[in-house]
Amino acid sequence: MKRRDFLKYLGSGIVGTGVGLAFGKVTKPPGAKLIPYLIPPEDVIPGVATWYASLCTQCSAGCGILVKVMEGRAKKIEGNPLHPVNKGRLCARGNAALQALYNPDRIKGPMKRTGERGSGKYKEISWNEAVSILGRNLSELDKNGATEGLYVLTSTLRGHLNTLIREFMSSYGSPNYMQYELFQHRNLIYANRVSMGLDAIPHYDIANTRYLLSFGADFSSTWLSPVNLSHGYGEMRQGGARRRGVLVQVEPRLSLTGANADEWVPVRPGTEGVLALSIAHEIVAGGYYKGADASSWKELLSGFSPEHAARVTEVDAGRIHHIAKEFVKTRPSLAIGGDNLSAYRDGLSCLVAVNILNHLAGNIGRKGGVVPNPAGLLKGRTGTELRKDRITALAKSALEGDVKTLIVYNTNPVFTTPAGVKLERALRNVPFIASLSSFMDETTAMADLILPSHTSLEDWGDDFAEPSTGVRVATLMQPAVSPVFDTRGAGDIFISLAKALGGKVGERLNYKGFPEYLKESWRKIYANNKEVAAGALTFDGFWNRLLEHGGWWQTEEPRHKPRSVSVRRVKAHIPTSPSEFEGDEGRYPLYLVTYPHAGYLDGRGANLPWLQEMPDPMTAVVWGSWVEINPKTARKLGIKQGDLVTVESPYGGIDLPAFLYEGIRPDTVAVPIGQGHRLYGRYAEKRGVNPIEILPVAEDKRSGELALNSTRVRLERKGADGKLVKMGVRTEELGRGIVQTITPEEFERIAGKEEA
Amino acid sequence: MDTIKKLVLCAVIAVVTFGIGYKVSDAYFGNRTPAQPIEFSHKIHAGDNQIPCMYCHSYAERSRVSGVPNVKRCIGCHSVIKPDSPEIQKLKNYWENKEPIPWVKVYNLPDHVYFPHKRHIKAGLECQMCHGDVQSMDRITRVSSLKMGWCLSCHTRKKVKNGRDCWTCHI
Amino acid sequence: MSKIVKKVKERLRDFRRPGYYKEFEYNWTMVIDLDKCNGCEACVVACHAENNLPIVGKDECSKSRAFNWIRIERYVEGEFPNVKVKFIPIMCQHCNSAPCELGCPVYATYHNQDGLNVQVYNRCVGTFTCATYCPYDVRRFNWFTYKWPEPLDQQLNPDVTVREMGVMEKCTFCIQRIRVAKDRAKDENRKVRDGEVVPACVQSCPTGALVFGDRNDPKSRVAKLAKSPRRFRLLEGLNTDPSVIYLKRVMKKSGSKKHGEHG
Repeated sequence: MKRRDFLKYLGSGIVGTGVGLAFGKVTKPPGAKLIPYLIPPEDVIPGVATWYASLCTQCSAGCGILVKVMEGRAKKIEGNPLHPVNKGRLCARGNAALQALYNPDRIKGPMKRTGERGSGKYKEISWNEAVSILGRNLSELDKNGATEGLYVLTSTLRGHLNTLIREFMSSYGSPNYMQYELFQHRNLIYANRVSMGLDAIPHYDIANTRYLLSFGADFSSTWLSPVNLSHGYGEMRQGGARRRGVLVQVEPRLSLTGANADEWVPVRPGTEGVLALSIAHEIVAGGYYKGADASSWKELLSGFSPEHAARVTEVDAGRIHHIAKEFVKTRPSLAIGGDNLSAYRDGLSCLVAVNILNHLAGNIGRKGGVVPNPAGLLKGRTGTELRKDRITALAKSALEGDVKTLIVYNTNPVFTTPAGVKLERALRNVPFIASLSSFMDETTAMADLILPSHTSLEDWGDDFAEPSTGVRVATLMQPAVSPVFDTRGAGDIFISLAKALGGKVGERLNYKGFPEYLKESWRKIYANNKEVAAGALTFDGFWNRLLEHGGWWQTEEPRHKPRSVSVRRVKAHIPTSPSEFEGDEGRYPLYLVTYPHAGYLDGRGANLPWLQEMPDPMTAVVWGSWVEINPKTARKLGIKQGDLVTVESPYGGIDLPAFLYEGIRPDTVAVPIGQGHRLYGRYAEKRGVNPIEILPVAEDKRSGELALNSTRVRLERKGADGKLVKMGVRTEELGRGIVQTITPEEFERIAGKEEA
Repeated sequence: MDTIKKLVLCAVIAVVTFGIGYKVSDAYFGNRTPAQPIEFSHKIHAGDNQIPCMYCHSYAERSRVSGVPNVKRCIGCHSVIKPDSPEIQKLKNYWENKEPIPWVKVYNLPDHVYFPHKRHIKAGLECQMCHGDVQSMDRITRVSSLKMGWCLSCHTRKKVKNGRDCWTCHI
Repeated sequence: MSKIVKKVKERLRDFRRPGYYKEFEYNWTMVIDLDKCNGCEACVVACHAENNLPIVGKDECSKSRAFNWIRIERYVEGEFPNVKVKFIPIMCQHCNSAPCELGCPVYATYHNQDGLNVQVYNRCVGTFTCATYCPYDVRRFNWFTYKWPEPLDQQLNPDVTVREMGVMEKCTFCIQRIRVAKDRAKDENRKVRDGEVVPACVQSCPTGALVFGDRNDPKSRVAKLAKSPRRFRLLEGLNTDPSVIYLKRVMKKSGSKKHGEHG
């Protein structure tokens, strides 16, 4: 090598190294920072999790939760193992509550409307200003003697926030406090009242039953208290050495619970009540019912012979007879009804029919049957008055100008009422609307003033679960983390409002804040209830234990008090004919069944990305909605999987992708509820469609509740690409033996060899 | 050899040495002794005054992180001790403004490494084994490379149970 | 030099020999009772929350790039009205002779002393070999670096690495929870107790279909359940020797009885 070349190479080497060194120096990330606490919070060790016992508010089941907190941030939610309702378990929605807390689309502070109503133009204001605006508005109403013009609309609240709002309203002078949610199970309460004189939801002891006859109740995903009932289901199937319980599901569309059933009875929509009474007819006719009033039952049920029912319900008479026999002979057995069943125009009657079944088979007040719950710790439940408290009534009052000021909390009626209710127009007629929502949803967008409230992980509260588990249950909610944004607790907002108003209201609610109100209320319960106070020396000791355990509950076995259903009571309430559906049968040949989505429920879960990307349990569809069609029907209409289809009812049409599903009757189509938000944050907006839009304003004939399954529809293929996205491709096993099975007979043989 | 070949060779050498230079800068010329917002001296505290390490780094025995003392703890002593020194004045400013002190991390592990102080302290290791003669340092200097080989050499030497399993440190 | 290379090669071959670790201190096992599982997807969301799984959005989902360390497979068979639906939760089976471990060119996946199938993120170079070798389709690849918008990132679990682009990942049986339990056991100078380690999916399962524990402990629940006459393992014919044991679903043979023929 020449010397000159060597120097060249050496030079390039030196330059390369030098540039490398310099580059390394420049591009290296700046030193990470080590930020100490200013003042350390008590009992917090960085890197070690702290768990706070609290309450889940993702649905109205009232499960107890533990929130894992590290360095002041909530990391995970798990079921509270001590809690009798969910026994340490938690559903998908409960798990996703973290994303409501840390949702990027939360309202970050109080806001005042500046543009047109519904235009979404708001200006940020301070809390003082926000409270004084609302306070001034209420004072003015008071001055004009129009206190009855104040309406408050909230979700189902059972704890002390409910009593606080009631106290506020009564001292202010307005009777108009309403609770509204799409799935409130009020029909169930009404049905129990008219049939058993039980003004509550009982505990359904699925865990100990051996024959579960479910009329449309999808307890595996959304119905009533899904975690408690699912836990019961697991126990029923394989709970130790006991024999395996059988599940029979009666519904026109195979739900998740139906998919797990041993038998699916694809009944014609709207005729479930007739089917139930026909089963009852067989029980009485077979002489299985030994009560003194057997003859009057026989008379009452005389019109429901299986042969007649077979024509109406399209379920074979032989099968009805068989179910009746199994139901009454297998001990203990249990019939439940909900979801679909309570959403017909005859919903209340259908549920009464289910209660009749339980009565005739002797299941009420039995272990493994219907277990009435003891009276709650709070006296007098409110908000279940028949034919009152309805959202349609609110819409009417608003249209008539009776509603002067409306305060909405934690409910989204604009999204969950059919267009025919004209709620949005009615709300435009309300002079002043304040929303306490933490999210910009369809109802909040109508508000003049937004006072964003905490999510459940930041707030205080309590709940008295209904249904509980045959014992008294109270759950306490405590803040697991400090507020992420400039929000306040709903109770605190009402108390500061009372302060701003002064006078009678201010006197009645003279508390520093909601935590004080809550604690004082519990002090009263502690003082008046020996059972609650047992084992605690002082109230403070009791309160600390309450916070530690996440609540208070009876630990003994539930007492079983028998109750009966009498002919006299139910006479006026039994279904005599199939439920009615809107729409001419010729023009609209298909029944429409709507059902709550397992993740979004009534739409409130649609803004949580985990739930959007959670495959639907039955269809595996993500990030959208769909219409379930039987392949036979689809073939007739030339519809293929994933095609864009128009579903048209007499009240409007929606376009959504087709999902061909063998688990639905050929004369029925089904659409899940929960998608189709116009507003509600980046994860929810403009995804799928909202089937509630095309529903008629149909009410239950007897209870006045909104009937969701009350219309017929027609389908029309609109195009090829419906943009249906689902997880997984195959739903056939192709002989690979992936899910291996054994028959019940085989299981009987081997049972007992197995230890749990 | 023609010019093009020479140029390519030059370029190759330059690229290779660039890489070496980058690595070297990372390994040997990284700032192991960064300036801190307050000239805190471990020599005075741990050396001259013999304050035990875990008086301030109080979580080392209980958590994966050893923790830095909270500002309240600093001010607790320094409202009495040497309150007029200019560095303590800085501390006082942070305290009065309710601001935490933005210390610069000297021992910084990447996200994919799980290092629990607790297990190492419980195994009887001295803090000085990894952090060096802290009691004689005015400003903290990183004495260990924090490279995987460095970790593993100790795990091997001390025959740590499962000490060479990847999932012991990477989860 | 060549001697050392030979030695290293032999050592590495040992890792790949089926049954290399027969003597586990713990043999973590999951038992899934398919007769209890009702397919509610609670486990799926619980896993997302615990293990920092990203969400990818609709478009990516349509390309099968969604992240599910545990998923529920559903099989819908038969025609109306004789429809049979079967659910099965599938996660990494932690095979004791795992195909994926044979493939990885950089040893980023291997079998460890607890009988766990390990994925080392910082060693992974993203060749996708393991995912193609896996018969259970449980491995997921980070096609991009997914970021949460603020403040959703505050939920991220500090005990679990946040993965970046180009890395393969899969179910770990919640190794971070196993570690916490082991840590506590070591403090108290004992072995991990039965029921002390509860992975996120097992914890949330409403029906109690999932049970987790140490099969080496004959008194543990999993050891007892593993002896059930209903036991089977997924695609057992492939000889992968999985650590996940399923219990057969009890159901009537499809088509054996038509409605109306009862009694």
